[in-house]
Amino acid sequence: MTPSALIEEADLHALVDGELDPEQRRKVEDHLLQHPEDAALVEGWRRQNAALRAAFEPVALETPPLSLREAAARPPAPPAGQGPIETGAIHWGRPGAAPRPTRKLDEIRASRRRQALASTLLTLIAGAAVAAAALLFLASRPPAQSPTTRAIAATSYAARAGLTYATYILDPRPVEVEASRRGELLAWLQERVGFSRAPDLSGVGLRLLGGRVAPGVAAPAAFLVYERDDGGRVGLYFERAEALAAPAGQRGQGVSVIEWRAGGFAFVLVGALPPDVMQAAAEAAAAAVAATPAEVK
Amino acid sequence: MGRRADIIADLGGATPALRRYARALCAGAGPAIADDLVQSALQSVGARIRARALRPADLAEARIEAYAALVGLAQKKLADAPGPASRHPPVVHGLASLCFDERAMLLLVSLEGFGYDASARIVGASRETALARLMRARAALGAEGLRPVASSEGGRRAASHLRVVK
Repeated sequence: MTPSALIEEADLHALVDGELDPEQRRKVEDHLLQHPEDAALVEGWRRQNAALRAAFEPVALETPPLSLREAAARPPAPPAGQGPIETGAIHWGRPGAAPRPTRKLDEIRASRRRQALASTLLTLIAGAAVAAAALLFLASRPPAQSPTTRAIAATSYAARAGLTYATYILDPRPVEVEASRRGELLAWLQERVGFSRAPDLSGVGLRLLGGRVAPGVAAPAAFLVYERDDGGRVGLYFERAEALAAPAGQRGQGVSVIEWRAGGFAFVLVGALPPDVMQAAAEAAAAAVAATPAEVK
Repeated sequence: MGRRADIIADLGGATPALRRYARALCAGAGPAIADDLVQSALQSVGARIRARALRPADLAEARIEAYAALVGLAQKKLADAPGPASRHPPVVHGLASLCFDERAMLLLVSLEGFGYDASARIVGASRETALARLMRARAALGAEGLRPVASSEGGRRAASHLRVVK
């Protein structure tokens, strides 16, 4: 049993979440180099984290509304229906009436909410921009943790893009058609991929090197390579997404694909039997595989 | 004495992060609900510290208490909250499709950067349970996690280690 066979899924999460000490971290990173399917998982979780931060970080940058300033220092509002009882005075108000200060606070809060609506729209736009930047940054990391050999059938766009990246980005010939033949490149992508635009990323210091048609998940994909002045490279992958939603004709009709992992291997059951039969077969196969003393994740 | 007052005052500095967490936890249910939750959580923790029902050793511990109060309040309040609108980014729809416990844990670790032990304390679960929730949340959110979960993928979690790809 190799040391990397001892790496469990929890260790992969711990790597993403910075819960490993340096030695464990090195072990898990070594494991990822040999197990591209696990590397793809880790990459996927990092992308999730980036997407979450991109979506919600702008909230933390807003000025908190008036009602929240020093909320911890204020006593909680009295429960609805119980106004404060003033000592030595008769409380003539309706029993359910809210005390005045609370009502005023509500009005202030309502006006803050109208402003908040406007800022939410701005936030969404800013969020999209941050997301794009975050993804670019993630993709532009040197392939220190990213394996150079990826031979497992990728099932998601992210995994397939990662495979394409690992295959071509450091290749002596990363692109097939260079940016100097831009018109030819775009016409080619339009014909094979159905979308041809090479976004101008010079604003973030990335220059288009060129591109190629690459195998996609369900259809031909495009892979554009950008380079920074210091040599750092980024790949932009795109593929027609409906191709996955409507797989008919591409891979045969009614084919089920079920994936699981056990003992450090990825298993995929492929077949055209009814889905419930496929599910049962996969469960039986998974159980049989797990019967050997190996970790099942 | 002054120490408690300091901690309460410093807790105000955690407000932006609490708002970020609450907004994500509400998964598109609306900024007003999220801010109400933050306000209630801060007030309740502040009041409990003043009444000495809580004795946080430092600001970090007070922060954990504030998040814990927020999670407790949100669990009650979000039971019948509206879901995200189509204008929300896909990751928000993905969050909304997670169950509350999984969402709370995922966001503590992924968005707020809490360690496993602190996160488990906040959600009031053992470290193992909290970790299992985190793992389930990440698996359910998907490798893409950026697209809305298609309704046809509902059966995906029937056997947790099997993933129907197609």
